[in-house]
Amino acid sequence: MKRLLCLVALLPTTVWAQGWGNVANQQEEKGFSWTDPLWPAFWMAWTPATFALFCCIFGAIAIIGVLEVFKYRDGVERRGVLGLTTTLGDRLFISLLGSAYIFLAWLGLVGQPLWGPLGLAIVWGVFVFWKV
Amino acid sequence: MKTENQRAWFFVLPVLLLVAFNALVPIMTVVNYSVQETFGNNVFFWQGLDWFEQILRSDRFQAALGRQFLFTFLILIIEIPLGIIIALSMPKKGMWVPVCLVLMALPMLIPWNVVGAMWNIFTLPKIGLLGYFMNDVLGISYDMTQNPFAAWVTIIVMDVWHWTSLVVLLSYAGLVSIPDAYYQAAKIDGASPWKVFRYIQLPKMKTVLTIAILLRFMDSFNIYTEPFVLTGGGPGNSTTLLSIDLVKIALGQFDLGPAAAMSLIYFAITLLVSWLFYTLMTKDDAK
Repeated sequence: MKRLLCLVALLPTTVWAQGWGNVANQQEEKGFSWTDPLWPAFWMAWTPATFALFCCIFGAIAIIGVLEVFKYRDGVERRGVLGLTTTLGDRLFISLLGSAYIFLAWLGLVGQPLWGPLGLAIVWGVFVFWKV
Repeated sequence: MKTENQRAWFFVLPVLLLVAFNALVPIMTVVNYSVQETFGNNVFFWQGLDWFEQILRSDRFQAALGRQFLFTFLILIIEIPLGIIIALSMPKKGMWVPVCLVLMALPMLIPWNVVGAMWNIFTLPKIGLLGYFMNDVLGISYDMTQNPFAAWVTIIVMDVWHWTSLVVLLSYAGLVSIPDAYYQAAKIDGASPWKVFRYIQLPKMKTVLTIAILLRFMDSFNIYTEPFVLTGGGPGNSTTLLSIDLVKIALGQFDLGPAAAMSLIYFAITLLVSWLFYTLMTKDDAK
């Protein structure tokens, strides 16, 4: 009897949660997707993929900031192969801007997929931090 | 020894917050839009980098980009030398200095859409003073609503009229800061006016000229209001610059995804050219 009463008490909440017309329809659980909206109906239209991209960029800026403040206090600037005097932040900026252009050029001239420019961008980033 | 004072960061904080709200948040939103498709109502569908590919390969974008570079190039090669020449010929002392400065500042005080409307009325063939003068007095066929060449001449002359003053005022500020001793030394050495300009005035104006060129590049590369009010991008698409095309795609066609991708490409170009220019101009100072 007790069990029956509990079931009757739970019924309206189940009905309310799923909508009156959908009591019999089971909602299908969707797995995580990098490309689905992160917070549906939010005007900034975040997706996990773009969120991760900005997390990486801001994370890189934060790491560079911490390194410049604590580790390389003096003599952080240097003259590289391009004849430019750059700090760590400058090198990050050059890497990111250069990578953006590598991807754009590949998209315009070759098209997708983008594994080729990804490799090139990584090589470019390593070159900039190492030599520029 | 360096003086350390971390409190300075607190003074910078309001600016950082302001920049976050008026620049970072919109840019992040544009990045999100550029990889998705929407039909309104905040409902989005993933599109990947298709919009970028489509925009980069479209003839329409390439033509607008070409027109934009041409416009900016013409603006810079006219306004920078003209601004320097006017600044050199302005008086350095006396009662005419404030008069010249006010006259120079006047065009910059006029709002951009008013400048466009003013030049529209001024150049219309039937009712405008310039249009009437060219067509009926000089007998030169001039109609910026029909002829692409006339439309180009008009938007360039309008921009020169509106913004050369900025170059003049910046160059003038650089010129008046040169101590008289330099000129006296040049006089003793018997230097010609060209040599005085080349070896004294130009190097001393370098910093302000860098700023002037950068500002004029960014402003002219992002120009929208004046040519839009004056020609509306016409006749045909002949004066449809990148920003006008962008607004047509974003607001006219409501294609927010392609418009977002296009604006990011636009932003990347502005960023690269400004960085390259600034780096090259300040490279010698860092030595």
